[in-house]
Amino acid sequence: MAKITLSNIGHSYNKDKDQSTWALKPLDMVWESGKTYALLGPSGCGKTTILNTISGLVTPYQGRLLFDDQDVTDIPTAQRNIAQVFQFPTIYRSMSVYENLSFPLVCRGWKAEKIKARVHEIAEILDITDKLGRSAVKLGADEKQLISLGRGLVRDDVSALLMDEPLTVIDPQSKFELRKKIKAINKINNLTVIYVTHDQYEAMTFADELLVMSFGEVIQRGTPEQLFEKPNSKYVGNFIGSPAMNFLPVEAKSNEIYFGSTKLKTGSANAQTQGKAMEVGIRPEYISLATGAGENVIEAELLGHDDLGSVRVLKCVSGGFPISVKIPRSQGLPAGKSLLLKLPAEKTWLYQDGHLA
Amino acid sequence: MYKVLKATFITIWSLFVLFPIMWAITTSFKPESAVVNGATFIPFLEFQPSLIGWKAILPGPDSITNLITPTLNSFIVTAGATAISLIFGSLAAYGLSRFTYGWKNYSNADIIFFFVSQRIMPPVVLAIPFFLLLKELKLLDTHLGLILVLTSGLMPIVVWLMVDFFNALPREIDEMAMLEGCNPIQAFFRTILPLSKPGLTVAGMFCVIFGWNDVFFALTLTATKVLTLPVAVIALNGTVTPYWILAASTVFSIIPLVGLAFVIERFLSRGNLGGAVR
Repeated sequence: MAKITLSNIGHSYNKDKDQSTWALKPLDMVWESGKTYALLGPSGCGKTTILNTISGLVTPYQGRLLFDDQDVTDIPTAQRNIAQVFQFPTIYRSMSVYENLSFPLVCRGWKAEKIKARVHEIAEILDITDKLGRSAVKLGADEKQLISLGRGLVRDDVSALLMDEPLTVIDPQSKFELRKKIKAINKINNLTVIYVTHDQYEAMTFADELLVMSFGEVIQRGTPEQLFEKPNSKYVGNFIGSPAMNFLPVEAKSNEIYFGSTKLKTGSANAQTQGKAMEVGIRPEYISLATGAGENVIEAELLGHDDLGSVRVLKCVSGGFPISVKIPRSQGLPAGKSLLLKLPAEKTWLYQDGHLA
Repeated sequence: MYKVLKATFITIWSLFVLFPIMWAITTSFKPESAVVNGATFIPFLEFQPSLIGWKAILPGPDSITNLITPTLNSFIVTAGATAISLIFGSLAAYGLSRFTYGWKNYSNADIIFFFVSQRIMPPVVLAIPFFLLLKELKLLDTHLGLILVLTSGLMPIVVWLMVDFFNALPREIDEMAMLEGCNPIQAFFRTILPLSKPGLTVAGMFCVIFGWNDVFFALTLTATKVLTLPVAVIALNGTVTPYWILAASTVFSIIPLVGLAFVIERFLSRGNLGGAVR
């Protein structure tokens, strides 16, 4: 296990001088040993570039990479001792399942008995002992991915386990099983795990900390709770949570915030408000239906609703702006089209130019 | 109607292709009289088969030339050139497929074109330079000399075919191998090469065919001590062309290739190519 330090790491695949085009903009970051991190963001935002930089498949255009206190920027992939699981199952087709699992150990020159013991131990955890003798080509996608994962785990001394959307090709039922196995293994081995995904549920269930990325930049880093409760930007508010955070344009008049004609109190300390586009953001989960006028209550019109099992999402519009409200199913649908929505001040945040004020 | 047309076309085409070979085979069993007195085709009916042509080229009392030694020479030269071309050609192709090389504006594609361009040049241009080169190296009329010259022509084919083949293999395989502790050479030999049998087979087959059939370099650079089969066959021609002996030697010299084709065809059709694509 190692602490991973990215020091001013940036990468441009076509070696462009203009930093705004870089796949990964210069970044300083420390990842603690033994923790699980999730990199979250849309396709092409630089998640995989970070992983490949750590494993050495990509040499960064600038910056240094440190494992603990050792500079590994110029050390070849083979000597970094990184386990990586790719998006598509990667198996050695010419080999059996056993040979696949033992390959990393054979490469390291382990003794045959030791390899056998270790491979069986891992196969036991992954529940594929009965398939060890089979040809790896003939397995299904999820079993192949299990083997890719197993090859990452079979070494007991890896610096980090990197997973690049490992569950993309797995069908939903096996996904659940596989996710459970990955979690169990992380616990046993106390690995430093960096998990890339664009699925927020996957990220939130796996990770101690999440990093939301966009266009080669880390937008926010924090625990799932921090990201959900107080996103630092509209981008994160929209990306995390389903449905996305509500954003309503507001105006500032003498240090007070107005949505239309309604005065709103927010959890943000009032900031400089001159000449900036201002919005308040609130999670659909925190809006409740009010019975009468009061503080932070706005009027809205109900357009329709989505039924999501235990909860319903009410699609409303207020002052021409859409608002989603999540209410428990037990509460029942409101009678009539006109609603009063309560936006609790401590859950409402002020955003200026797309960033938390 | 379409089926009939298709069948007719295929039949005619097959006859067109096979006829010369059939004619060579029948001619190799004809006595002199059956050759010089107009065309004959059907054995026992139009002519009495005889082994005179075959006896002339194989060791024995009626032998006029011995094709066994040239066959061995051809075998050594072809095998040597093919082996060298496959080993170094596939290594070069792997490098060109996986790594980026460059100098100024030239990159991998230019290097590959440089390899292939060796085949664009007509061999006759190379005859004198090669002759002088081999003379200088004291390799004229030796196995090694001819092997090296043939390799220079065969390697481009291997590089060209194998670059495409390696490009089609997912890059993740060797990346994974490197993550798991292999250096690039180990990654190639342990994970990529076992998957490359179909490609290597095809490339090797081309090498064997071109190497086995080479006349030009064998004729100009060797001839006495290292006589290869095609050169020996040509040497059988005299002022009066002995068609039956030539036919027998021709058939004799294509037997190894035909045999190889059968072996490879079985090998390829066993689904080895099927696994080559993701």
